[in-house]
Amino acid sequence: MALTGRAALLAVAGALIVLAAPAPALAFWLVVAVIVLAVVVDLALAGSVRALRFERSDDQRVRLGETAEITLLVANPGRRRVRGLLRDAWPPSTRPAPREHDLDVPAGERRRVTTTLRPLRRGDFTAAAVTVRALGPLGVAARQGSHRVDGRVRVLPPFLSRRHLPAKLARLRAIEGLNPVQIRGQGTEFDSLREYVVGDDVRSIDWRATARRADVVVRTWRPERDRRVLIVLDTGRTSAGRVGVDPASGDPSGWPRLDWGMDAALLLAALCARAGDRVDFLAYDRTIRAQVAGGGRGDLLPGLVTAMAPLEPELVEADAHGMVAAVLARAKRRCLVVVLTDLNATALDEGLLPVLPQLASRHLVLLAAVADPRVAALAAGRDGAAEVFEAAAAERQQVERRQVTARLRRHGVEVVDALPGDLASALADAYLNLKAAGRL
Amino acid sequence: MTSITPTITERWRSWRGVLGALGAIVVVATLIVLVSGTRNGGRLDVEATTPQGARALAELLRAQGVEVNQVTTFDDAIEQAEGSLLVVARPEFLVDAARLAELAGRPGPRLLIAPTRPVLQALAPGVVASPGSSEVVRAAGCDLKAAVLAGDALLGGWSFGGATCYRGTVAVVGDATLVGSGSFMTNEKLAQNGNAALAMNLAGTHRRVTWFAPRSPLGVPEGGGKSIEQLIPANVGWFTWALGLAVLLTALWRGRRLGPVVEERLPVVVRAAETVEGRGRLYRARSARDRAALALREAALARMTPRLGLAATAGQNEIVTAIAARTGQDGGQIHRILYGEAPTGDAALVALARDLDTIERQVRDS
Repeated sequence: MALTGRAALLAVAGALIVLAAPAPALAFWLVVAVIVLAVVVDLALAGSVRALRFERSDDQRVRLGETAEITLLVANPGRRRVRGLLRDAWPPSTRPAPREHDLDVPAGERRRVTTTLRPLRRGDFTAAAVTVRALGPLGVAARQGSHRVDGRVRVLPPFLSRRHLPAKLARLRAIEGLNPVQIRGQGTEFDSLREYVVGDDVRSIDWRATARRADVVVRTWRPERDRRVLIVLDTGRTSAGRVGVDPASGDPSGWPRLDWGMDAALLLAALCARAGDRVDFLAYDRTIRAQVAGGGRGDLLPGLVTAMAPLEPELVEADAHGMVAAVLARAKRRCLVVVLTDLNATALDEGLLPVLPQLASRHLVLLAAVADPRVAALAAGRDGAAEVFEAAAAERQQVERRQVTARLRRHGVEVVDALPGDLASALADAYLNLKAAGRL
Repeated sequence: MTSITPTITERWRSWRGVLGALGAIVVVATLIVLVSGTRNGGRLDVEATTPQGARALAELLRAQGVEVNQVTTFDDAIEQAEGSLLVVARPEFLVDAARLAELAGRPGPRLLIAPTRPVLQALAPGVVASPGSSEVVRAAGCDLKAAVLAGDALLGGWSFGGATCYRGTVAVVGDATLVGSGSFMTNEKLAQNGNAALAMNLAGTHRRVTWFAPRSPLGVPEGGGKSIEQLIPANVGWFTWALGLAVLLTALWRGRRLGPVVEERLPVVVRAAETVEGRGRLYRARSARDRAALALREAALARMTPRLGLAATAGQNEIVTAIAARTGQDGGQIHRILYGEAPTGDAALVALARDLDTIERQVRDS
C-alpha cells in the first residue's frame, strides 16, 4: 500500500480543527478515525494490482545514440477500474522516460504504455520490474505492487565510422578497376585478355595471345578476391582505458579503447565484405569472448554488431599465446590478421612480441591501436614544473610507442597508430593499400 | 510475467520468524529484569537497588522482623503513620503545607532525614537547624545509645542546635529523631564504618516502619502560582500530536518508492592517460629531473634529426654542428641544451624545456 499527499493534508486540516475544538482529545481521535476510515475505504475499493496482466513487445535492438520505444500492454481483467501510476523500471543508464506514467485502465480493457529509452552505454539491458500504484476512489491511499515482465534491449555499437564508407568504397572501386581503363599494377590476379588501346602499359601485352590473333592483346589484372580477413579484438585490461571523447554521451572521460576498436573493425568488415573477402571476427582476452565465422556478404554486419554488443573490457592481462593459438586454429590458409589492441610497450613485450613471429610467418599481421590525444596534449605542457614533468613522462611514453612500432615493423607487422577519430579511416586505408599492392 | 510483490500470507511467512525472535527476546529480557535486574528509583527509595537507593537497609530491617512499607503519597502516609515509625526520606518533595500540617497532627515517632525548613517546622517545631557542614566520617561523641553502639558514621548536612551527637548532625527531640544527611543509609555507603549499625539503630526502633519517599513533588508550594504546564491549554498538546501525525503521514507518503531500486552493472572507468600522469607525478615526487630532462631531450632530438637530414645514429657533434649551421646559434649553447648537465632545480627544468622548444621551432622554421 501507499499513501498520498491527501492523507497528510487531511492530518494537517485535522490538526487545525483540534486546535480550535472545545474538546481537543475527542477531536484528535475523531481525526485519526476519519483518516483510518478513508485509508481503509480506499484500499478496499482500489483496483487490484495483482490481477493486472502485462505484455511487452519483443526484444529490441538499437544502435547506441538512438532511442528505443518499449511498449507495454496493460490488461485489467479485474472488476474495478485501475487508476493511478505505472513505472516501467529499466537500468538508469538507459534513461527511461517518462519515469512514471499516468494509468487509467477500466475493468476488462487494455491500455498501451510506451517508455522511451535513450541508452548511454552499449550492452544488454533487461527490464527490472513494472510497478503499479492503484489509487482508491478518495485518492488518500493506493494499492501498490510490482510485476516482473521480461524484456531486453540490446544496445549495439553505434558504427559511427560508417560515414567514411562511401569514400573508402570509391577507392576500392578504383582499385578493382571498375573504371574504364585498366592499368597494370593494380592487383595481381589475372582477370581477362582484351585488345590493346593506346595508353595501355606495353609491359602488359600478352605476346602469346597476340601471336594467336590478329590484334595486339593485353592482359588485365584485378585485385585478389575471396581472401580471408580475421579481425581480432583484444578485450583485455588495456582495452578498458578511456581515450578521446565519448561520442555517444559527450562524456569527456572518454570512450574505452574497445569501443574505438569496434568502430574501426566494423568499417573494415563492411569494406572487406564489399571487396569480396571473407571476414572472421574474434574477441579474445584469456578466452574467446565472441566470434563470428565466415559471414556472408548480407548478414555479416548484423552478425558482427550483435556479437560485439555485450562485450566489456575484462580486467585481466590478455593471453597472447592463447590468442595466437586461436588464430592459427581458425586460419588454415594465409590470411590478413588484424589485431586491434594497444601499443603498450610492457604489455606487448611480455605478451604479443614473443609469439608474433609464429603468426607473422604464416599470415600477414596488421596491428591497429588508438593513440591518446591527451598524451600529446600533456607532452606540450610547459606552464610549470608539474606540467614539464608530465610532459617528460608523455614524451617517454611516445618514444616507447615509437620504439615498439619500429620493432613490430621489423617483424614484418603492419602497424596503424591513429587518433581515436581517425583510427577507422586509417585502418581502412591500410587495408586498401595492402589490397592495391597485392599483398593479401 | 509474474507478480513479485509478496502476498499477505507470504509476507507473514517470511516475517514470522523475525517477529517470533523479537517477541522471544522481549519476553526473556523482561523476565531477566524482573528476576534479577536492578530496580531504578529515587534516592533512598526502599525498592531501588541503585547506589543511591535504600533497598539494602530495608532488607536488613525485614530480616530483623521489622515490617517496612514504602508510601509515596500524603494519603497513604497519614493513614499508615499511626502506630509505626514514620521515616521522612525525601522531605524536599513535601511542599504542600496544609497536608504537612495534617501529617504532623498524627501522633507517633518519626525519623527525619535531612529535613527542609517547612518539614522541620511542621514535624519537629522548635528545632533550629543550620546548614552547610560537609559529609565526613564523624565520631559519635555523645551518650545517645544508638550512636555509642554504632561508632563512627558518615554524616554531614544540617546541624541541629543543642545536639551533640556526631557534632550536632544527629539529634533526638521528643518523638522525632533528626539526621543531617541520609547518605549513610544508601546502598553505596551502608557497609562502611558504623553506617549500617547507626541506620539500623535509628530506623529499627519499632515493629513497623512507614517509609515516606515520594518520587515527585507533592502539592504546590504556598504562594506559588500555576506551573507552566498548567497554563498551556489542552488544545496545544493535542494539536502537537495531530501535527506529529501529519508529519508521519507525510513521511510515509514521500518515503514510498514507486517500484524497486534498479541496480546496474557499472563499467570500469579508467582514463588511458592516467599512467602517463602518474609517471609524471612520480618524477616530480622523486625530483627525477635527470630522467625528465633526458626524456625531453631524446624526444626533441628524435623529431629534429630527420628534419636535419641526419641518420638516427648521428653523433653529438654532427647534430650540434648541423643545428648551429641551420639556425645560426652558438654551437656551445646548443650543445649545453641538448647534451648538458641535468638541471639542478625545477625552474631550470622548465627553462630547459622552453629552450628545447625554441631550438626545435628554429630548426622547423628555418
